[in-house]
Amino acid sequence: MSIAKRVQQWATFARTWHIYDCTWQNPFESAALVKTHLMGLHKPIYHPMNDCGDHVVLINTKEIALPGDEWIKRVYFHHTGYPGGASWTLAWQLHEKDPTMVMKKAVYNSMHGNLQRRHTMQRLHLFSGDSVPDEILQNVTNQIRTPRTVPQRLDHIDKETLENFPTIMDYPKDYILR
Amino acid sequence: MSNSHLFLKSGFPRAPLQNGLGRYVCQLQRITLKFCKNNGSSKGMRDFIENHLVDFAKENPGIVVYVKPRRHRTPVLVGEYLNGDREWLSCRNSTQEEITKWVDLLRTQNGSSSSLRLRKMWHTDVPSIQGPWTPFLLRSPEAHGQEYPSVEASKPLDAPQTATEKLIELFRQQKQLGDEDVLSQKRAE
Repeated sequence: MSIAKRVQQWATFARTWHIYDCTWQNPFESAALVKTHLMGLHKPIYHPMNDCGDHVVLINTKEIALPGDEWIKRVYFHHTGYPGGASWTLAWQLHEKDPTMVMKKAVYNSMHGNLQRRHTMQRLHLFSGDSVPDEILQNVTNQIRTPRTVPQRLDHIDKETLENFPTIMDYPKDYILR
Repeated sequence: MSNSHLFLKSGFPRAPLQNGLGRYVCQLQRITLKFCKNNGSSKGMRDFIENHLVDFAKENPGIVVYVKPRRHRTPVLVGEYLNGDREWLSCRNSTQEEITKWVDLLRTQNGSSSSLRLRKMWHTDVPSIQGPWTPFLLRSPEAHGQEYPSVEASKPLDAPQTATEKLIELFRQQKQLGDEDVLSQKRAE
């Protein structure tokens, strides 16, 4: 193999790193998105037998938004293997214990249970907040777009923008503002 | 694919050592014709041996031809190839013309065709003029040197315009017109 061909091979099969901001995102909707990048399904060279999955860094997993009343209705099951070792944990309890766990399980469950799944999960990096180690962040070359827009909170808008915001109508002169 | 194909070799069709470019080496090394001297199922094989076999051997001096009579058994063609392959063909009740065609197939192929599973039904030595795909193909130039995570790169591309954004846009348009009097007129109303 010539030098040019070898470099071409490296370029085609290069693992890229993606970052995904979980703020206000549905974990199950996001999991389908993250899964495609983890397994390399978004690449034209994808084949189940070639190892072309990418790394995905998930940040702000503690800010996820479960749909409806799933925080109190969704139950995670675990069994220690011993008699009486079954335990059922509500989603909000699990999230309190480990804020990355709901997201991790969502991605894990979105994939088929085969021998490759554990290895694919090794390429997923979860962070509860937005602080990511520098050696991980410097690999990242792409950000995955979220399926939902993140609304801006009123107390996060700076004062100047608020004051200059257009008023739809003026109050009457005798209107008493409380 | 069933379990009987577990050890079947797989690959792409190829010419060994660029056979046919400049020189041609016949890949069939040895052909064995087994037949019965009086059984009816060997009729075609006997006819082939009587009429064509000597010519075949003369035309192909590189191929060793064995003829093996055996009593009350099915006629069989066995080809042995330069790459070690061995192809076995039953010629039971075949006519002379059919056997001529089978022998010609054995003579012209590279190895046993039935012992190779084709991985793909197509093959090309020049896959793409543009070159193979890379993850950096068709990336927007803005993505180069961008800091991640960024709020802009996270936003969905197909998000509809919100009422607030629409309001701000209307307000800007009014401001650009610079018609203070329009506003004052409205206030007067």
